[in-house]
Amino acid sequence: MKKSTMFVRMITASLMRRRSRMVVALLSIAIGATVLSGLVTIYYDVPRQMGAQFRNYGANMILTPSGDSMTLDDVAAGAACIPSDQLVGMTPYRYETVRIRETPVVAAGTDLESAKKTSPFWSVEGEWPSANGELLLGAAVAEQYRLKVGDTIEVTYTPEELADASADPATVTADEMILFDVTGILDTGGSEEDHIYMYMADLETLTGTANKADVAELSVSASGDVLAGYVERVAQGSDAVSARLVKRVTASEATVLSKLQALVLLVTTVVLALTMICVATTMTAVVTERRKEIGLRKAIGASDSSIIKEFMGESMLLGLLGGVLGSMLGFLFAQEVSVHVFSSTISFRPLLVPITIIVSIAVTGLSSLLPIRSATEVDPALVLKGE
Amino acid sequence: MFLRMIKGTLLRQWKKMLMIAFTIALGSSLATAMLGVMLDVGDKVNQELKTYGANITVVPKRASVIGDLYELEDGGTSGAYLKEDELGKIKTIFWAFNIVDYAPFLNAAATLDDGSEVTVVGTWFDHHMDLPTGEQLDAGVVSMRSWWEIESGAWLDEQAGADPDAAMVGTALAQRLGVTAGDTIHVTGSTSDRTLKVVGVYDAGGDEDDQIYVQLGTAQALDSLEGSIDSIEVSALTTPDNELAERAAKDPSSLTVSQYETWYCTAYVSSICYQIQEVITDSVASPVRQVADSEGAILEKTQLLMILITILSLIGAALGICNLVTASVMERASEIGLMKAIGAQNGAVSALVLTEILITAVIGGVAGFFAGWGFAQIIGHSVFGAAINIRPMVIPIVAVLVVLVTLIGSIPAMRMLLRLRPAEVLHGGH
Amino acid sequence: MSLLELKNVYKIYGELHALDDVSLKVEKGEWVSIMGPSGSGKSTMMNIIGCMDKPSKGEVLLDGVDISKQSAKELTTIRRDKIGLIFQQFHLVNYLTALENVMLAQYYHSLPDEKEALEALDRVGLADRARHLPSQLSGGEQQRVCVARALINYPEIILADEPTGNLDEANEAIVVDLFHKLHNEGTTLIVVTHDPEVAEVAQRTLVLRSGRLAKEVVNQNFTGQIHFDRS
Repeated sequence: MKKSTMFVRMITASLMRRRSRMVVALLSIAIGATVLSGLVTIYYDVPRQMGAQFRNYGANMILTPSGDSMTLDDVAAGAACIPSDQLVGMTPYRYETVRIRETPVVAAGTDLESAKKTSPFWSVEGEWPSANGELLLGAAVAEQYRLKVGDTIEVTYTPEELADASADPATVTADEMILFDVTGILDTGGSEEDHIYMYMADLETLTGTANKADVAELSVSASGDVLAGYVERVAQGSDAVSARLVKRVTASEATVLSKLQALVLLVTTVVLALTMICVATTMTAVVTERRKEIGLRKAIGASDSSIIKEFMGESMLLGLLGGVLGSMLGFLFAQEVSVHVFSSTISFRPLLVPITIIVSIAVTGLSSLLPIRSATEVDPALVLKGE
Repeated sequence: MFLRMIKGTLLRQWKKMLMIAFTIALGSSLATAMLGVMLDVGDKVNQELKTYGANITVVPKRASVIGDLYELEDGGTSGAYLKEDELGKIKTIFWAFNIVDYAPFLNAAATLDDGSEVTVVGTWFDHHMDLPTGEQLDAGVVSMRSWWEIESGAWLDEQAGADPDAAMVGTALAQRLGVTAGDTIHVTGSTSDRTLKVVGVYDAGGDEDDQIYVQLGTAQALDSLEGSIDSIEVSALTTPDNELAERAAKDPSSLTVSQYETWYCTAYVSSICYQIQEVITDSVASPVRQVADSEGAILEKTQLLMILITILSLIGAALGICNLVTASVMERASEIGLMKAIGAQNGAVSALVLTEILITAVIGGVAGFFAGWGFAQIIGHSVFGAAINIRPMVIPIVAVLVVLVTLIGSIPAMRMLLRLRPAEVLHGGH
Repeated sequence: MSLLELKNVYKIYGELHALDDVSLKVEKGEWVSIMGPSGSGKSTMMNIIGCMDKPSKGEVLLDGVDISKQSAKELTTIRRDKIGLIFQQFHLVNYLTALENVMLAQYYHSLPDEKEALEALDRVGLADRARHLPSQLSGGEQQRVCVARALINYPEIILADEPTGNLDEANEAIVVDLFHKLHNEGTTLIVVTHDPEVAEVAQRTLVLRSGRLAKEVVNQNFTGQIHFDRS
């Protein structure tokens, strides 16, 4: 029989036949490795996940005409300068003054589906409009005209050049008029409550002019320099539109996000350090328990180096198993966290598996080396007698 | 005798006991630090989120409503103002402590010398208040518009007794007029005119870039609106809304008495709004959804994240402790065999071992609590620049956790020890 | 030349002279008992002969080599190659089977050989218990595994420290019989014991008292008979 066969046989015997002790040790190593791989995954994922949460604050970039006006195509071209996987939403707005019951009110024509994405904080009582001919009323407008969900309302538009003469009944009849269903009332606590929102197509029918936008709101899942870089790209890529950052959102997001990441980093460091020390003390205890066995092996002629080899082999095998188990559990943990906290999945980081395994082997190996060495230094006679 | 035996063990086996105490201390410091941070993270992140500015705006009741009430034919939009002298009352509401900042605003339409219209906004910059409670508060746009970049000059300093004519100009307007810090702008209001001295130019990245910001009194003088303000922006620490809060926000009278109590005494954004309306005459306070809702979402996520990390680290700590306790009790098999051989009952043996372990656990746990408190402070200071306020409830939680985990850790070892037959142990059967 | 020779050996712990000027010779193939009450220096002597400890003063010649001058590493090699140890507490590795425990000694010595290890177990009458763990064996069986482990590498000396101390009479007889067998095969045996009856069956009994050799008794009746009878 080869020496290596006996070596393997001894180690497997030790792991298999001392099962209950080993399982506890393995579990604690695996938990250590889980903490490592799980928290590191979360740490790297937090900016992305939290960044997505910060998109709740709505648009962080706006596109405005470089000249006097811009078309919807210009807006689309400008938005195309931003990678599509980073672009959470893009909503063009066109503002026109329309009349309800002969009093002026600002109407915004937009894509209401994407407005939901760029302004997730909009709270709508009733339903979002889903077809042309449906209208979203700002809460202030609704109160002013005493309108509620389900009402129908006539909206008229007077071309600017005729506006001064609107008092003249003759011209009023020339206005475009659309009968809208009020499907929802918008509550934001901000200036949006003073406007009414309709589909772009309706506003174009009312005004008789198409393909025009005053501003476009963009929600981009990036912050800091990356976001600033996109502004540059839009500036280079399009002549008709210019991009600006919504400072209130971007500056604050950068501040808060960096704090949050620092928080997770520090927490990870502290938890990791303490867990690793815990694993180390566990391994120390596991080895210390076996001082007598080490003494016996020495008594029957084992050299220090072969004892160190065997016990280290065993510890490192435990470390390997724990590391493999831990990197899987860690991923599952991070996945659970991600699903529960952020309702999204995370990507598997293959590099983290070897790192976790190496760290867990290193920690178990190093933490058993000291007690093994101290056990081999003691006279076997003392260890065997010392009961 | 019992005590003597315990003392003997602790003194003789101090190395082993030290190791157990050390591991328990690690576990308990981990638990303390994580629980401490977890419970405080809401407040800390909430503070950070204040950089987004106000989450509540207070405006006068709509003119139209007043018009309806008094059956006026033409209500108009002007004429409804809040009273400046009521501003201090905001810091007297039930949740006054949660109001971290607020500022009044008055927009005055003015004309520049070239005939163009400009909005002159009167507000507080760093208004100093001595509150009836003895507290002091510096409130105003310096902190509520933290995202403004000062392009030239500096923030208008109210406390340093600034000139009433001092003004800050938005970058777009400053470029159009070609003014910079140190220049003057002449504005004409509806009732008087002023020559404003530009002390700073700011870049706000929004509509404010076309406006002029002055002290409240200056704007009031332009339109002879002394004592009046248009709106108040309030920055408050709030609890994320739940179903109750949403129902209450729509109609507080739909709640039962106890629900109302709960709602009123919780820092929901809707209850704070309600309380502000109670103290400011003819006002409507409403949450700024962009800030309030997002705040809620981010707070909730951060807390949940911390809770899950805390649970993971608690499991880790518990396993570490369990393992070591098991190992150390098993090691003493022969000693316990001897005790049983000389007639000790199982109960007596268990009591002895458990007492020893628990004494060690208490020592380790207390040491760990203070270490964990230190860790929490390190995290607090390096991330938030403020101490983490360890809630008193952390102490019993950690104590129960340590004792429970230690006891659970001893169970497998105890069972084994109780099954021991003294003869086996003493005759080298190991 | 004697196989083992102690010349004026001292072992001193502070004030205590555990061994005080001890000299003795053991010839190849001899069976020697070392007796003495507790604290007489038996264990110290056993540790020194077993290469687990070094004398404070004096020479210990094993096969002509002075072990008091060897390094710890060299002592390990000597112990591995020349000495088979048997302990009162058996000291088996509890998670290895009887067979594996025997093979462990082979492993450290040269190469593990399952067949040879089985033969050794057969010699102590445990061939059928080879796959059992120590916890599944009786005390006597465990001690016999120790004997098999001690003789597996054909050591120059088998050194037994109270080999029967933890055994009942029946098992004691079995172990002593094994010693007879080993003796007849030419193995040198040194048995440390405080049991006069176990000591008396040897060819020679050395009595230690307070670290000194107090008495040497030669067993006139030594026949090398196989059956040990306590009565």
